[in-house]
Amino acid sequence: MAALRTTSRLFAAARPAFKSQIRTRTMATITSNGTATAPAVPPTQTTTVKEPAADADSKIKTFHIYRWNPDEPSTKPRMQSYTLDLNKTGPMMLDALIRIKNEVDPTLTFRRSCREGICGSCAMNIDGVNTLACLCRIPTDTKAESKIYPLPHTYVVKDIVPDLTQFYKQYKSIKPYLQKNTPAPDGKEYRQSKEERKKLDGLYECILCACCSTSCPSYWWNSEEYLGPAVLMQSYRWLADSRDEHKEERKAQLDNSMSLYRCHTILNCSRTCPKGLNPGYAIAEIKKAMAL
Amino acid sequence: MLTQRIAQQSLRRLAASQPGLASQSMAFKKSAAPALIMGSSLQARPVTTQPIKPSDSYEILVAQRKNRPSSPHLAIYKWQIPWILSITNRITGSVLSGAFYIFGSAYLVAPLFGWHLDSASMAAAFGAWPVAAKVLTKFAFSVPFTFHSFNGIRHFVWDSGKAFKNATVIKTGWAVMGLTGVSSLALALLL
Amino acid sequence: MASIVRPTMLRQSCLKAVSKQTFSTKPTSMFPAINKPAASVLSKQVARNTFAKGALPGSMRVAAFHASGRRPILPALPPNDAAKVPTPHPSHGSYHWTFERAISVGLVPLTIAPFAAGSLNPLTDALLCATILIHSHIGFEALIVDYIPTKRLPKTRKTFEWGLKLATVVVGVGLYEFETNDVGLTEGIKRIWTA
Repeated sequence: MAALRTTSRLFAAARPAFKSQIRTRTMATITSNGTATAPAVPPTQTTTVKEPAADADSKIKTFHIYRWNPDEPSTKPRMQSYTLDLNKTGPMMLDALIRIKNEVDPTLTFRRSCREGICGSCAMNIDGVNTLACLCRIPTDTKAESKIYPLPHTYVVKDIVPDLTQFYKQYKSIKPYLQKNTPAPDGKEYRQSKEERKKLDGLYECILCACCSTSCPSYWWNSEEYLGPAVLMQSYRWLADSRDEHKEERKAQLDNSMSLYRCHTILNCSRTCPKGLNPGYAIAEIKKAMAL
Repeated sequence: MLTQRIAQQSLRRLAASQPGLASQSMAFKKSAAPALIMGSSLQARPVTTQPIKPSDSYEILVAQRKNRPSSPHLAIYKWQIPWILSITNRITGSVLSGAFYIFGSAYLVAPLFGWHLDSASMAAAFGAWPVAAKVLTKFAFSVPFTFHSFNGIRHFVWDSGKAFKNATVIKTGWAVMGLTGVSSLALALLL
Repeated sequence: MASIVRPTMLRQSCLKAVSKQTFSTKPTSMFPAINKPAASVLSKQVARNTFAKGALPGSMRVAAFHASGRRPILPALPPNDAAKVPTPHPSHGSYHWTFERAISVGLVPLTIAPFAAGSLNPLTDALLCATILIHSHIGFEALIVDYIPTKRLPKTRKTFEWGLKLATVVVGVGLYEFETNDVGLTEGIKRIWTA
């Protein structure tokens, strides 16, 4: 197939050379026997090719998906509806999205990568809750129509793709890496006891999908200054790390009215986390540590 | 598929490395010189490009953002116990504090306008109301008061670092709502 | 499939330029010595040298092992700068939070007491009034900080902040008047409630 394509391309390249001598021929018109110029057989004399009828047991579900195209910036965002037969679709929302993009509407834009909840790319608002599309089962109830929005209160780059620049900038601002002044006692590695290591469980697993931060009303209103649950939980991940020696600097960084204390323990963050982590608890622990 | 791809690749490579040889070995022997082939394979693009400095990227981002819509938030978010109770806590607190502030400032300026806001005359005025209105008014104050009180205790538990599990949050939320209902009714009807 | 075919293809396309010895990777090749560790190292060396000397045509050096063409990596953009870290203000941060919790905790017994004791003595009643006033002030302040961002509405923010301070002072004076001239908050509410 590909080899044929190459050959034809080379022919195409050579075409201008004899263009002046003979008429350019396209694939469809074969003029040697003159059949191409004959009138087409009328439809009454041919059979009709029908679209395959839907199965009797097909489960047609409607998906309403948020659409906005940056190439037409003046047009308002709109909800586009798609129907899929769930029998022919994978079990997860991401399967449905990929199927829509592959088979129905290739212009639909969304981020996705690992399809197993470890990359955090496909974070979006599905049926009113922020989650990863790859970890979210399609509700099998076909009467209920699913609604898919980008992460709430984010700038939309296109369709369901949000702009998370500020989120990443904030993550960078908390210095998410080990800060040490003293060398390791044995000169080799910084050791932790099992108990110390255990404190990091439930913190280090965060994949920074931004589901929690964009579910937080405080973060909606003050995302410029409030760090948001995801970043604060990562801040706590380093505050809780027995090896880190810059804890006071880390705390001082949060000690103002906006960075940390815009958290009002709404707990949408813990409720929505697709990885089952608890940012609300981490923030409460930071507050406790800073109060004393 | 793969073998065809390999054939394509090797053909292309061969053509790139030895253009003279390629043109000879190709099927179209009667075609013109290889220079012509190369020339015609160059694409004319109607798109023009423009060099951009890395420092300009921020301005471009800002310009792009001006066009970007903000995605919907409150209106589309599912009604869930955590945030519904949180905003209710805020609203009830504001109602109570608002009433407190209005009464406090009104009491200060009452002599200027001749209002009677002392407790005796207010009680007398309120006592003259029909029972239904009295109960409704009491209920309108007892609901925010009890809710804010019970939810405040829920907040203390959270501030101590406990009861953060999703299931617990839902349970305590329903508990607060139940207690609010019962106690506010009791305050409005019994007292 | 690809792993089998690619070396074959490579070998075939390299035949003209390089000797067979350096490129035969199959164990069944006619030079079994190549599979011995020392020999293979040597042969790799030879192969590398042959490549370096430019024995291969230009196109092969670019894409000998991969079917896709080589794309130059874009020059690295400057990394995103971290969000600005504000200067520490414990009086608006941790101290504020601790104070707020202390006030709120204090409200619990002061709220329960009138229900238990009927009404409060003037001193406790005044204390309750003051605590509620501070609690309300902090609450309204939180509303202003949350919903009126300094960045977008600096003037409105200032207006509301000063308005709240003024209101709190006015209400404080009003409550002082009420506490001193009238029966007190708890007793007053009790009177109206049971009226």
